[in-house]
Amino acid sequence: MRVLVVEDERKTASFVRKALQTEGFAVDVCGNGDDALAAVRTTPFDVVVLDIMLPGRDGLSVLRQLRERKNTMPVLLLSARGEVNERVEGLNAGADDYLPKPFELAELVARVRALTRRSGENRSTILRVADLALDTVSHRAQRGGAQIELTAREYRLLEFLMREAGRICGRMMILEKVWDYDFDPGTNLVDVYIRRLRDKIDTNFEPKLLHTVRGTGYVLRESP
Amino acid sequence: MTIRTRLTLWYAGILTLSLLIIGFGTYREIDERLRHEHRREPEEHAIAETSEMVFQVGLPAIVLGLLGGWWLTRRALSPVVGLTEAIRKIHERNLREPLSRTQNGDELDRLTEVFNGLLARLDDSFNRTREFTLHASHELKTPLTILCGETETTLHDESLSAAERERAASLLDELRRLARIVDGLTLLAKADSGQVALKLDSVRLDELVRDSFADLQILAEPQQIGVELAVCEEVIVSADRHRLRQLLLNLADNAVKYNQPQGRVTMSLRRSGDTAEFTVANTGPGIPPEILSRVFDRFFRGDPAHSSAVEGCGLGLSIVQWIVSAHRGNVKIDSALGGITTVTVRLPVQN
Repeated sequence: MRVLVVEDERKTASFVRKALQTEGFAVDVCGNGDDALAAVRTTPFDVVVLDIMLPGRDGLSVLRQLRERKNTMPVLLLSARGEVNERVEGLNAGADDYLPKPFELAELVARVRALTRRSGENRSTILRVADLALDTVSHRAQRGGAQIELTAREYRLLEFLMREAGRICGRMMILEKVWDYDFDPGTNLVDVYIRRLRDKIDTNFEPKLLHTVRGTGYVLRESP
Repeated sequence: MTIRTRLTLWYAGILTLSLLIIGFGTYREIDERLRHEHRREPEEHAIAETSEMVFQVGLPAIVLGLLGGWWLTRRALSPVVGLTEAIRKIHERNLREPLSRTQNGDELDRLTEVFNGLLARLDDSFNRTREFTLHASHELKTPLTILCGETETTLHDESLSAAERERAASLLDELRRLARIVDGLTLLAKADSGQVALKLDSVRLDELVRDSFADLQILAEPQQIGVELAVCEEVIVSADRHRLRQLLLNLADNAVKYNQPQGRVTMSLRRSGDTAEFTVANTGPGIPPEILSRVFDRFFRGDPAHSSAVEGCGLGLSIVQWIVSAHRGNVKIDSALGGITTVTVRLPVQN
């Protein structure tokens, strides 16, 4: 998997590159829009991480140019302006996802990974992690043969975590996908829901599946 | 007393005084003439003749003068009345609209001109403050992104001891809090300068209220706070769904944070005529009346002893107020010390 990071701020580009490399991506970095357009012409990247504020040609203009050329490479927009209108503007211009600065690295990695995923993966109606099973049609959960009662929100949270099983999910991503929040509410809502979900799926069972990654988010997997 | 009444009274005084002087002069003249003609009892005749003149000519002249004066001052002061009305309508957001001038170059026109100059300078100064906040919050984002990123990278360094990891994690928590404050500031600064456009849709407010009530239940549970959704009537409003969610969650979160252990939070949504009325009431310690009007101010913290224990960015209610007014609604907060605190949000219903 090869990712192009278009970011003029050297330090930001450096830790984004490091984080993506740690996760097994090959990473190229460009410092401005024209170089980025030249790079995508020659290399088929799996994902482009594109900062909006760039010297010279800005990110949105790069994105529009890319889409005008019928290039469908998945694009994740980054923006320091971090404001609702811009998100809409970015998505309208053809971005596949949007992340406001300052972002969490785990969040960025998870989103890049989501963009690289082939459609069709996880199409089965029964999701499984270890002996935990979730039926996405009847919304029923089962672990070790025991039925688990879930509220609507708990179901959506569990479904999301199970679809992302093995990958760290940041709080913002969870809020966005499960709650439909496009802002950081600054509450411990996610943490409290995770605790409740853990009570239901983990307390009476081994091994524990739902793990907290301190400072970054949560992950559903067999190994701690 | 109005200037008009005062001027008229002065005018009346002056006229009366002139009349007295004229009357006295006339009396002396008549008296002298009568003495010259060797009339009997000249003084009495003089008084009678003088008073006849004063009453028949002087008084009507005074009345006419007073009416004229009244009319004259009214004419002279009428632009002031207009000016007063125009100035009354000025607030922080329409400073850019100057008062209309008569252009006739009189004193009041010059006053209006000077006043417009003052408005323009004030507007400039407000704009500079807004721009400063906007630029400051933008400038803070790049270093914040780097700080968050580097700290997160450090956190995943395998060679770190548990204590070092704990420190890095705590640092990251604070950095994120800072990031939320900067986000809030950016949002408000943009809203102030009219740069935030709402994405309006027909929104079932009752569904959003039920969603946020579900969140409220979860937020309240750890502190054993009881929650209740008293009424939830079906209401459709024309609104930005995400901003309304933000508004509701903010209020729900506040109602839990500023509450007593084992307290209660009650939500309700009613429709009355063309207005949707949403309330959140909690059994908090209450807000003293002297600070009640300031709770929507940015970074305002009522009781420092209490608020230091409550985490937040200090902009929650300011954002709530902005969201409500951007939807042409209003929000108010009522509180009894040691009693119930109620936040009421009114939004226009979509027809």
